[in-house]
Amino acid sequence: MIQHNEEKTCWNCPAALLKGNVDFRACGQSIAAIRDKISEEGLLVECARRPDLGMFEPSITFEQCPEWRETQFGYLLRDMRVMILGIDGYLGWTLALKLARLGCRVSGIDNYLRRKAVAEKGSMSVVPIADMETRLRTAKERLGVEIDFRELDLLNRDELEGYLREVQPEAVVHYGEIPSAPYSMVDAEHAIKTQHNNTLGTLGVLFLVKEICPEANILKLGTMGEYGTPLTGRPIFEGLFPADAVLTWRGQEWSMGGELTPRDPASFYHVSKVQDTFNVYEACKYWWLRSYDVMQGVIFGVHTEEVSEHPDLRTRLDVDEWFGTVINRFVAQAVLGIPLTVYGSGEQIRGYLALEDAMECMVRLLSSPPEPGQYDVVNQLSQLHKVKDLAEIVARVGSQRHGLTVRIQRVENPRVEADEHPFLVVAKKLRENLGYQPKTTLEVEIDKMFTLLLQPGVRGRLESVKGTVFPKTWWSGEHKETMTLEVYEPGNHAAAGYSPELVVTEHNGDD
Amino acid sequence: MKLKAAIIGLDGVPIHLLEDLAQRGVMPHMKELIEQGCLMKMRSSLPANSAASWSSMITGANPGTHGVYGFTDFIPGTYTVSYHSSHKLKVPPFWRTEPEKRVLVINLPAAYPAQPINGVMITGFVSPQFEKAVYPSGLLPRLRDGGYEVDVDASLFNKSISLFLKKLEDTLDQRTRVLDLLLEKDGYDLLFFVVTGTDRIEHYLWDAYADETHDQYPDFFGFFEKVDNAVDHVTSKLSPDAPLMMLSDHGMGPAETAVNLNTLLREEGYLVAGDNPRKNYNNIREETKAFASESTKIYLNRVNRFPRGSVKRGEAQQVQEELVDLLSGIKHCGRKVVEAVHHRQDVFTGPEAGNAPDLVVTPMEGFSFKTGLFKDSLYEEDFLSGTHTEDDAFLYLRGLSQGDLPDDPCIEDSIHVFRKIYGDLHDTA
Repeated sequence: MIQHNEEKTCWNCPAALLKGNVDFRACGQSIAAIRDKISEEGLLVECARRPDLGMFEPSITFEQCPEWRETQFGYLLRDMRVMILGIDGYLGWTLALKLARLGCRVSGIDNYLRRKAVAEKGSMSVVPIADMETRLRTAKERLGVEIDFRELDLLNRDELEGYLREVQPEAVVHYGEIPSAPYSMVDAEHAIKTQHNNTLGTLGVLFLVKEICPEANILKLGTMGEYGTPLTGRPIFEGLFPADAVLTWRGQEWSMGGELTPRDPASFYHVSKVQDTFNVYEACKYWWLRSYDVMQGVIFGVHTEEVSEHPDLRTRLDVDEWFGTVINRFVAQAVLGIPLTVYGSGEQIRGYLALEDAMECMVRLLSSPPEPGQYDVVNQLSQLHKVKDLAEIVARVGSQRHGLTVRIQRVENPRVEADEHPFLVVAKKLRENLGYQPKTTLEVEIDKMFTLLLQPGVRGRLESVKGTVFPKTWWSGEHKETMTLEVYEPGNHAAAGYSPELVVTEHNGDD
Repeated sequence: MKLKAAIIGLDGVPIHLLEDLAQRGVMPHMKELIEQGCLMKMRSSLPANSAASWSSMITGANPGTHGVYGFTDFIPGTYTVSYHSSHKLKVPPFWRTEPEKRVLVINLPAAYPAQPINGVMITGFVSPQFEKAVYPSGLLPRLRDGGYEVDVDASLFNKSISLFLKKLEDTLDQRTRVLDLLLEKDGYDLLFFVVTGTDRIEHYLWDAYADETHDQYPDFFGFFEKVDNAVDHVTSKLSPDAPLMMLSDHGMGPAETAVNLNTLLREEGYLVAGDNPRKNYNNIREETKAFASESTKIYLNRVNRFPRGSVKRGEAQQVQEELVDLLSGIKHCGRKVVEAVHHRQDVFTGPEAGNAPDLVVTPMEGFSFKTGLFKDSLYEEDFLSGTHTEDDAFLYLRGLSQGDLPDDPCIEDSIHVFRKIYGDLHDTA
């Protein structure tokens, strides 16, 4: 079987420590290690895992190297030390279990900010989740994996430094951010809290990685929301313009290849993510760090093989207006008998990805680190949908498979965003370079969510947070009710407006 | 005297150059020493590079036994070039066999990283990280404070020849200063002191040696005057009858035309390389039968040795013979290019011979070999003006006559000769 990363070499391996260039012109003369002008010619590395090999050129392929072992997701660094920042969250915990089961040595920090923020807004995870101690114990008992955890605030750099030095991670997955646009738009306090935590937290992490583990693969969670929805319909590339992109102006042409594409954030939360993008980009440039900035679509679902193994291994599921994502909230509304809330015309197009697929993508990104100094971006999503079409799908699955009566309501759009817009998204790297193919479908995951949320224990919790589901946070800062414009039966709104366009291969991109 | 015995290495100095400079009066101290002992021609190792030859010298063994064939080698099972490390030496260096003796080693090539020694080890080129080039590490601050540098940045030559020359002199001075510094505090049974600027200046300015009109003609001789002074400085630390051996690890000769061996192999169908933008040996395709590395070494792309190996054990000898014919026959402007092609089985003996290159090629005078994988032209002007020679290194022992030495000595004999003549490393008083 050909693996997507079998021809990657030590250049991509976080265990390969850059040592400097040797001048081979006469008798291999030595020059001191020169991190500030790494050139490929004569570059030597040392293997942190195999110091007995001495120094060598970084050309051992993953296929050849016994430290990389073959898995279903490609070659993976044996016992890779992965530190997850924000390990208690929806994604963090799920990824921790997946990686641990794949043989990674997983560590992580969390200050339970997510649990506290959701509680602060009067809500909770509708799927009951265990405390960390129970989670870790259950992971060991049920999955046979050890995960190392520290309760630690990302902004506490002294303690984080100590932990990083102890672990010496080969990869850092940075999920440690406040992930909510509406939360950041509540008021000044929430906006400042979001930007302070996200932007300064990320900046601090970059400095620490530079000092302690500069070869680590940094997987930084961004969001497709950084790009906005350009009304011209120009393509949303993967973070950087492709080599053949050209700017034409006044009859002249300029290559745009390799430059960052425009960002147009849509909330103070998204602004924090854009600021992160620039900080990570610069850190890679200044210090030869390597990073994937993961422009993730909206995640849906609550299932992976590992979290489904035991109730105490479940990951959280939020349905409130601040931390619930749209599909999850629609399923919750359908179970609660609330007409599904579509904002404005419901013509907003967004990228989506099942939780299970998102985790696979992250594993694949961990299996194929960028080169030293390389800032790379992937658009991590499997499908594009209009919001109103999602409501139709949720309604259909809810009624056909679970006997629910589901209606849809159009409400005033409390956000400042284009209700109707073209959306041409390029998401080729994960499929073309990293071997990813979606494993599940929207309908299957929605069906699983209905099954879970309809369980009596879960449904009871859902009822108790019912008041947090309807949107009340206005981007305008006004404190007012959101009016329902229309309630309708599924199937009654014909297709209209722009069609989503997703480019996932070179072939469909050129058609 | 704080020193009981000394070995001085002059890296890359051929015997004829030494004799010539002594006769001309450029190296008067050397002339005096030559008159007090025996100077004779010595064969270098095959291949004649400093890593293989100094490893042979310090172990008294053939590369097939100590396992070092150059500054680079291939990590088993890969096409990845690994750099020499002292940990790769399969035979202990001579000072390890007498661990009770205190030894001071300054600037020994291919000894990196410095390993524990009863005494001091400061490794020579190639030493990528200075902090690993010195044992004990407690010496590092003093060496740093004194501006000690392992080697000269060769890229300086293209930026400023005068600065390059100044750096060569500075590094030589630093080494003698370090010697003084260390001898102030301690005594040693043996000093092993290597001058490597000789190799550098010969590589870059060999053309100045025989050309009075060359801009650097005086500089070439001027540097060897400094070397002569350094030799005098070192020997002045010894009593006049103390054991003293001097040697070079290989010789040097003119390099006018560089021959790209991999281009030849590619043109003749022995080497098929892919188009990966990284210009390394991972580009080698399965159709490849042979490829060259580190100037003079040729490897068969053997099954079970390389990931895309294609030459089976039964075919190896035939491919070797084809290559010998090919290499022996090439001519440039009517001149034969290759002096000799050595078979692995003829020159390497010992348990590590299985990792040896399959062939080692030595050039005719005026030619040198390069082994870049992707050179288009077979021949080009060499950017260096000197290239290593195998058969004209020198060996000198004080207080001896020629009859005391073996005929036709080879570098791996030198330490045995030293011990045989002088006994084991001298006892500390």
